[in-house]
Parts: sequence; C-alpha cells; structure tokens
Amino acid sequence: MKNRLKVLRAMHDLTQEHLANDLGVTRQTILAIEKGKYDPSLELAFRISRYFHTTIEETFIYEAPDEIPP
Amino acid sequence: MKKAVFYFLTFAIILLEFVLFGWAVMIRAPLLSVASLVLGIAVIYIARMYVDEVIEDERTQKIQERTAMTTLQVTWVALLVFSVWMIIEGAGIRAPPEIRRLGIFGFGLLLTDIAMVVVFVLLSFYYRKQYGE
Repeated sequence: MKNRLKVLRAMHDLTQEHLANDLGVTRQTILAIEKGKYDPSLELAFRISRYFHTTIEETFIYEAPDEIPP
Repeated sequence: MKKAVFYFLTFAIILLEFVLFGWAVMIRAPLLSVASLVLGIAVIYIARMYVDEVIEDERTQKIQERTAMTTLQVTWVALLVFSVWMIIEGAGIRAPPEIRRLGIFGFGLLLTDIAMVVVFVLLSFYYRKQYGE
C-alpha cells in the first residue's frame, strides 16, 4: 500500500517526532509507514487522515496484488 | 520520565540483579535472589508507566507478536527433538544409570513441550472467543 504521509507531513511542516507524539505512536512507526514497510491498522489510518483533514483514500492508495505492475 | 532515563534505569536494575544473584549464590540464599528478581521486575513495570514518550504502539506489538510466535515454534521443535533423542538414549536396557537419568530428563522436557502446546491451544480458544468466533 502506498501513502502520501511524507507529502502531507511536509505540507504541514511537521517532523516525524512531532507527528508521532500527536498520534501516540513511535517515530519509527511514522518512518516505517512513510517508507511503505508497515501498513497501519485501520484505526491508525483513520487517525492519520483525520489529523491532516483528509480522507483515507487521499492518504493511502491501495493496490491489489494483481494491480501492481511487474 | 524520558525514554532514555527508563532504559538506563532498566539497564542498572539488570546489572544489580546480576550482582545480587552472584552474592546470593555465594551466601547460599536463594530467597534473596528470587525476591530481588520480583522486586526488579516490579520496579521496571512501575517505571514504564511513568514514561512520557510512547515506547509501545501497534507496530511494536505486531513485531512482538511475530517474534513470540516464531520463538514458540522454534522452542517447540527444539524441545521435541532433544526430548525424543534423550528418551531413546535413556531407554536402552544396558544403558548406565547416568544415561537412564538423561531419559527421565528427556521425558520431563517432552511433558514441558506438551504443556506448552496445551496452554497455547487453551489461550487460542480464549482469544478466538474474544475476537468473535
């Protein structure tokens, strides 16, 4: 799953540490989400979207396995 | 409390536990070692509640879940292999008493392995009910 977290964070001029504190997660979790190494739970995904006043679809882009180009 | 302070405190307690363990062995006082272990774990647990920063979240929990499951699977297989080997070694009719004791120890290991599986199955049923089955 792709996401626009890094872009949204940059638009709001936030550090990973700051965002992590506001969302109640570790900085490593924010880093892992941004790098696409960790897909957040539905609850955290909603929290992230609401934090940036966007929708989940605007923040996270789901790609089914058969949609991913080789 | 800052995260770094908590980690330093944990490290200091672990060091102190080692010192107390060594001292308890020297003066042959098992109660001292057991009491210090329980107290040390309690202090770490309480200190953890006073950490201001987030030290555990859904990602760390997922990592712990996967680590625990893999550790359990590796332990099951290792215990099974060792216990079966010890039981067969110790079951020989002409085996000396030391080797026979090895067989009894292997049987104990096998029982421990089975007990772990039983606890795992019981807890699985409990969590399945919790998560709506």
